[in-house]
Amino acid sequence: MQMDFSYKVTWLHKINPSLKFIIIIILFIHLLMIHNINFIINYMLGMTILYLFFTGHPWKRLLIISIPFILIFLTSSTSMIFFGKGEITWIKWGLVHITEESFFRGLHLGFRGIIFATLGIIFALTTRPVYLFYSLMQQLKLKPKYAYSFMAAVRLIPIMIEETQTLHYALKVRGVQNHKGFVGFYKKLKSYSIPMLSQSIRKAYRIAIAMEAKRFSDTVNRTYYYQLGFSKFDMIFMFYFVIMILVSYYAAINHPYFSILDVRDNG
Amino acid sequence: MKKGLKLTDILVTIIIALLFGIIYKLWGPLYGVVSTFGLQIEQLIYGMWFIAAIVAYLIIRKPGVALLAEVAAAQGEFIFGGEWGVVTLVFGLGQGLAAELIFAAFRYKRSDMFIACLAGVASAFASIGIDYYYGYVADLAIWNLLIMFGARVIGAILISGIFAYLIVQALEKTGVTNLVRPASSEDYKALN
Amino acid sequence: MTTIASITNMRLKFPGVESLLFKDFSLSLNKGEKVLILGPSGSGKSTLLQVLTGLVPDAVEIPMKAEEKIIPESWGFLFQDPDTQFCMPYVDEEIAFVLENLQTPREQMESSIHYYLHQVGLTFDNIHTKIQTLSGGMKQRLAIASVLALEPEVLFLDEPTAMLDPKGTQSVWDTLKDIGKDKTVVIVEHKIEQIVDFVDRIILLNENGEIIADGSKRKIFDQYKHVLIEQGIWYPGVWDEYIQVNRKEFPISNKVNEKPNLHLAEFAGYREKSKKIDVKEADAYPGEWITVLGPNGAGKSTLLLGLMNLIKTKGSYYILDQNHRKIKNFSDYVSFVFQNPEFQFITNTVFDEVAYSIQLEDWSEEQVLTRVNQLLNLYQLEAHKQKHPYQLSMGQKRRLSFAAAIIKEQPILLLDEPTFGQDAKNTFAILEQLERLRLQGTTVIMVTHDLQIVNHFATKVWYISNGKLVEECSASNYTKNNQKQPAMS
Ligand SMILES: Nc1ncnc2c1ncn2[C@@H]1O[C@H](COP(=O)(O)OP(=O)(O)OP(=O)(O)O)[C@@H](O)[C@H]1O
Ligand SMILES: Nc1ncnc2c1ncn2[C@@H]1O[C@H](COP(=O)(O)OP(=O)(O)OP(=O)(O)O)[C@@H](O)[C@H]1O
Ligand SMILES: [Mg+2]
Ligand SMILES: [Mg+2]
Repeated sequence: MQMDFSYKVTWLHKINPSLKFIIIIILFIHLLMIHNINFIINYMLGMTILYLFFTGHPWKRLLIISIPFILIFLTSSTSMIFFGKGEITWIKWGLVHITEESFFRGLHLGFRGIIFATLGIIFALTTRPVYLFYSLMQQLKLKPKYAYSFMAAVRLIPIMIEETQTLHYALKVRGVQNHKGFVGFYKKLKSYSIPMLSQSIRKAYRIAIAMEAKRFSDTVNRTYYYQLGFSKFDMIFMFYFVIMILVSYYAAINHPYFSILDVRDNG
Repeated sequence: MKKGLKLTDILVTIIIALLFGIIYKLWGPLYGVVSTFGLQIEQLIYGMWFIAAIVAYLIIRKPGVALLAEVAAAQGEFIFGGEWGVVTLVFGLGQGLAAELIFAAFRYKRSDMFIACLAGVASAFASIGIDYYYGYVADLAIWNLLIMFGARVIGAILISGIFAYLIVQALEKTGVTNLVRPASSEDYKALN
Repeated sequence: MTTIASITNMRLKFPGVESLLFKDFSLSLNKGEKVLILGPSGSGKSTLLQVLTGLVPDAVEIPMKAEEKIIPESWGFLFQDPDTQFCMPYVDEEIAFVLENLQTPREQMESSIHYYLHQVGLTFDNIHTKIQTLSGGMKQRLAIASVLALEPEVLFLDEPTAMLDPKGTQSVWDTLKDIGKDKTVVIVEHKIEQIVDFVDRIILLNENGEIIADGSKRKIFDQYKHVLIEQGIWYPGVWDEYIQVNRKEFPISNKVNEKPNLHLAEFAGYREKSKKIDVKEADAYPGEWITVLGPNGAGKSTLLLGLMNLIKTKGSYYILDQNHRKIKNFSDYVSFVFQNPEFQFITNTVFDEVAYSIQLEDWSEEQVLTRVNQLLNLYQLEAHKQKHPYQLSMGQKRRLSFAAAIIKEQPILLLDEPTFGQDAKNTFAILEQLERLRLQGTTVIMVTHDLQIVNHFATKVWYISNGKLVEECSASNYTKNNQKQPAMS
């Protein structure tokens, strides 16, 4: 969505999108294998630095975007904290049973959730969809049919959002009366969602026809307006993570915040 | 019939998916607000995250659409800055595959409410499977785990089964589905 | 002469529709011809173009068969709606998309993009400009540029100037004529003043999708005039004849010491916090027909949206002596026809759409039925009444939204270009209906680009320029003052 806002282009924007994507997936897998809460806290700090200083977006926007992070933290951790298994009981109150193990396991999940969120948002804030799909075609051999469909659909989204406005006008002009309560809510939901969906399908369909009219075909040997390759920024990006992970690990072993090394039940 | 999906099928599937991608993205905070109590009530609305595959399939009714839609919706949620980052893609893939398998098991012949619910339940199981590895769910108290599963399956049936089916029924009345579905043989016969 | 496109004994029918749209239809086009396809709204012109290019049935599955068909090797298609022919977000990327399809080497792309943009008279400081920031006319030119990039032998044009002001229309046609000189060109268009001198062959369709005449321009206009009249198709001079036959006189509003239906003072309308329309003072009386004129993007639609209380407004606005902020149901007093007929339909069939607003009142079932059928009949929609509004042709959609808007006969009627893309018969049906309402005391406020309407139907003109109501005068004065300028026709 960053395309609707202005931002400064930083080195994070210049990384090959496919590579960025793959690295994020590797980090994801790696994160799943970390069970040491100290490590994960350091990891999170390393991510926050990237997010705060290198995405090229203004502070205010970054802050607003990060509000849901708190929510993520809560959603990922609360049920584990309240209802997880464990031996060392801290609080027992009805169904709620907080144990030391479940508490740290919950925290761990919460931090991990925040890291995934930050990584995802860094990607979203620093990658233009058009470049992403060109790169996916060029580096990962995504079929043009899919890539261009994605790009066309992404272009349609803001247009469709604008059209909800027209739809809203239309309902008012025709004197559609609002009902209260659940029935009213359901009616309203229906009177917006169905035309939206049906109009989008119609528009997508027409665009597909227009694309075919422009001789679009799924051949492999098409030429490309944008050629996405690799650069020194890709190296910097990889190095950043390697160093960050090593430092986090070292710090976690030598200067732990908590004495727990593995948050798993049977660990 | 020609093999594979046509450009129109793909583009239509993806636009549907992206619209749901926006809803998925908005669903994140809502889910967050509902779930701060840890009692797993939020699982009842989890089913929304299975809906793209089912709606797209019910509209287009071709092989591959359900999987494509769910992956594209997850991709959409991801590029719109969704709260779960790439995790979303893993779930999207698993859920889409599960729904696709159900439709394939009936050879893409059925598109009634029952099959929609079944696909929803399959997606719910897939998501639970992923959660098993990802969310330490096995470490939850058993009663809590059972509520979680139960609520998620019920939510899947309600939202991605029944609600999805009703949406598509309403869409059929707008005639838009005629655009993307193969014309019937009666229509061709009428040409003679 | 070589045949460049042809079709023999084609049959086509829309899924789920009873009757065939085309039955044993044959047509053949020769290389280098400039062909104009004329026919009443709903006769199948848009569909025919898609068949001739092979889009139907290759990209669009509509049941059809033909004994033989020749599809041109390279063709370009210009669609009506500029927004749904682009697939990329930026100007350069859009043309590059075509170049990529043709496997143009990357190094040549940038210069080609500049070349095609230059050909259609588009200049940008930076070609990496967002398409969404372009005006309708610029978008349509960009669409032409990307069609040109295909280097097509045959150009298919489906009402390419829909939604453009007279100036934009003129310049788009000038561009098209220039680049179409040595190509085969097939045009579908209702308003033909600007292109009659360009075409050499005319094909006439009737409402059943049959060819009723086919020949040189001269032959059609000389020998088939009665058919044109009968089918209600535009031809040069329709207006003059209409005026003569109906002995239409200059309309005068009969306002004597009456109170205005609508009063504005220091009125301003906002779009996303910036002021887009500004009116110092204006009144509209019962029995007045005001045409709102002005170039694309001037703020005409914004004015109407403001009058309909749909956008944020400031200043005073009175309807029948009531402050507009105090009115609960605007739709009881004011009715509205949107510029773009899509997206304003709220029911599932043509019939329900027309019936909607009177069904909210307490009309008896029988009354509703008679009234709706009468309107459907008047606007040639009765054969389509069970269709979904979106399944109609462009002109049919507009007529439907018009019929739905006038059925309740509110005292104020706001219309945003209701006669665009309409054949002659339906245009006059709409105008006559409006005149009847006006004589009953309705205030008609109508955005249009058609000066003939100003000349023969309006009583007053509001001229909008750059977001301001800059001129308010009687229609007769406006006509007198603007006669020197060569406007439309
Ligand atoms: N998807 C559809 N399903 C059913 N009927 C349709 C569909 N699309 C068009 N029609 C009908 O086919 C007929 C021909 O439509 P078409 O758009 O070709 O007309 P047209 O000559 O271009 O009219 P106009 O001048 O108003 O644009 C119309 O009567 C229309 O109602
Ligand atoms: N939804 C919107 N949000 C913000 N600005 C808008 C919006 N719609 C229109 N505008 C701007 O408001 C101005 C007036 O637009 P408007 O649509 O009223 O022009 P118009 O006179 O009706 O033109 P046309 O002849 O093309 O219909 C333009 O500068 C346009 O860019
Ligand atoms: Mg048409
Ligand atoms: Mg306008």
